[in-house]
Amino acid sequence: MKGWRPSPPLLLLLPAVIVLAAVVVVPLLLSLYSSFTPFRLTKPETFWVFIGARNYVAILTSRAFWVAFARTVVLLTVALNLEMLIGLGLALLVEKASRGQRVLRTIMMFPMMFSPILVGFQFKFMFNDNIGLVNNALQGLGLTDRAIPWLIDGNLAFIAILIAEIWSSTSVFAILILAGLLAMPREPVEAARVDGCTPWQTFRYVTWPFIMPFAFIAMTIRSLDVARAYDIVKIMTDGGPAGRTELVWTLVARTAYSDARMGMANAMAYFSILLSILFTVYFYRKLAAARTQIAAEW
Amino acid sequence: MDQNSLHRVGNKALRIVHGIGLFLAMLVICLPGIWIVLSSLRPTVEIMAKPPVWIPQQLSLDAYIAMFSGVGQGGIPVLDYFRNSLIISVTSTVIAIVIGMAGGYAFARYRFRAKSTMFLGLMLTRTVPGIALSLPLFFVFARLGIIDTHFGLILVYVALNVPFTVWLIDGFFRQVPKDLAEAAQIDGCTRWQAFWQVEYPLAGPGIASAGIFAFLTSWNEFALASQLTRSINSKTLPVGLLDYTAEFTIDWRGMCALAVVMIIPALTLTFIVQKHLVGGLTSGAVKG
Repeated sequence: MKGWRPSPPLLLLLPAVIVLAAVVVVPLLLSLYSSFTPFRLTKPETFWVFIGARNYVAILTSRAFWVAFARTVVLLTVALNLEMLIGLGLALLVEKASRGQRVLRTIMMFPMMFSPILVGFQFKFMFNDNIGLVNNALQGLGLTDRAIPWLIDGNLAFIAILIAEIWSSTSVFAILILAGLLAMPREPVEAARVDGCTPWQTFRYVTWPFIMPFAFIAMTIRSLDVARAYDIVKIMTDGGPAGRTELVWTLVARTAYSDARMGMANAMAYFSILLSILFTVYFYRKLAAARTQIAAEW
Repeated sequence: MDQNSLHRVGNKALRIVHGIGLFLAMLVICLPGIWIVLSSLRPTVEIMAKPPVWIPQQLSLDAYIAMFSGVGQGGIPVLDYFRNSLIISVTSTVIAIVIGMAGGYAFARYRFRAKSTMFLGLMLTRTVPGIALSLPLFFVFARLGIIDTHFGLILVYVALNVPFTVWLIDGFFRQVPKDLAEAAQIDGCTRWQAFWQVEYPLAGPGIASAGIFAFLTSWNEFALASQLTRSINSKTLPVGLLDYTAEFTIDWRGMCALAVVMIIPALTLTFIVQKHLVGGLTSGAVKG
């Protein structure tokens, strides 16, 4: 008897699906369940107590959580937009360079190789109020005579984290947009110039639509990994001072491991997962739309 | 001054502004790295000096020697961390590449139902923040007794790397024309042979760069490793770096030296593959 034969693509995808199911999907289902329990690591028996949506109610009425959540959204929005703009500017600068483009491109990739934890550390070092490069430079140039408490003041710490975040991720945008610029056919730009477009119009209506999909690829890649800001914040301020730079992710870690309230932390984690998925799906759809548009036009 | 030379002066000014802008941008990109390398070579007294010492008076490799001579400065067993990092990253990369090749090939060469949904689904598993994933994994691994083992972390990193590896390898196989493999099959190859003799060698460099990307992800990962490792049995370098900050006085020089040790493998590997990496990510952009 000849049994059921699975189709080749299914068979080929099977290992990937199995691994992801075992390490991501099943544990997430487990954490979904435990978000409905008062589970504490120190009291294993609490895993079996079902308390309905009480964790979620507690979170939704918690001011600290909403502040952290809002701060995370603000950080991501500001960082992604600035990274996009600076990346675009950087790509245009490098594209215009007549010599040494290869070297410039290599230098541009530099921040990509730094692990987020290293980025956090090096900016913690540079923004140190006492011995940091930034304060030393500002004082050396005579711009200020006191030590600016970069990582001690809440708002300044937020800015410092933002700078670290932007430094580490702008190159993804710059490199992909540059790839788009280099792949672009010359003729439409020249045609636009002949037809009397200003440089701005040429950029806005000819260049930009073409490099848009590349920008969205960068956005999608970036949004896959937005939570790596956790590493940066963890080492720079660890959510401090007094929770002024607390993000959703540091709050989850604190609730789960310092307070050992796993059930509550899992409920919070679901909000952060939702946030990441929202970002990714949004950019993925933009990417798909941009791709079809390009395919239709070129 | 006639219009022509006015134009020329304007052009020259523009070029200079462009050059300055480019220089400043590159300076901002490089400065943090340079500063770390420099600090790792200077004596601690100079790092702490007030007013700051800009030009290093003396350079030495003391920090590195202290770090690698067993339990060195601050009691950080860097060698163990380094070995753990290497074992875990290499193993998980190899496994992720094998799985990713199968998956990527399926996406590039076959049409099947719910293909794009499946692709998006794979990607979405990647978006789960490491720290959120670490909660249930911590619990499950503790139950299974694989917390603080190489095996546990390798398993996690394979899962972490598979989606992106599939994406990259899918792009590289797409760049290989379908006709080549078909021609080989007409000439008598089986599909299996056609894959290994024709398509695989052509996509090879791309696959290598996907591997290096996976390696870097594992090498750099922190959020999961920080919860799933406990001791020198499995602690990786990024977690080890945090050992320094837990103390009241931070050994800045030692940390800088460790940072340099972490960055050098990453740096070398990325330089090797940079060209293919960009090609792989963008291959789908125009062709759709």
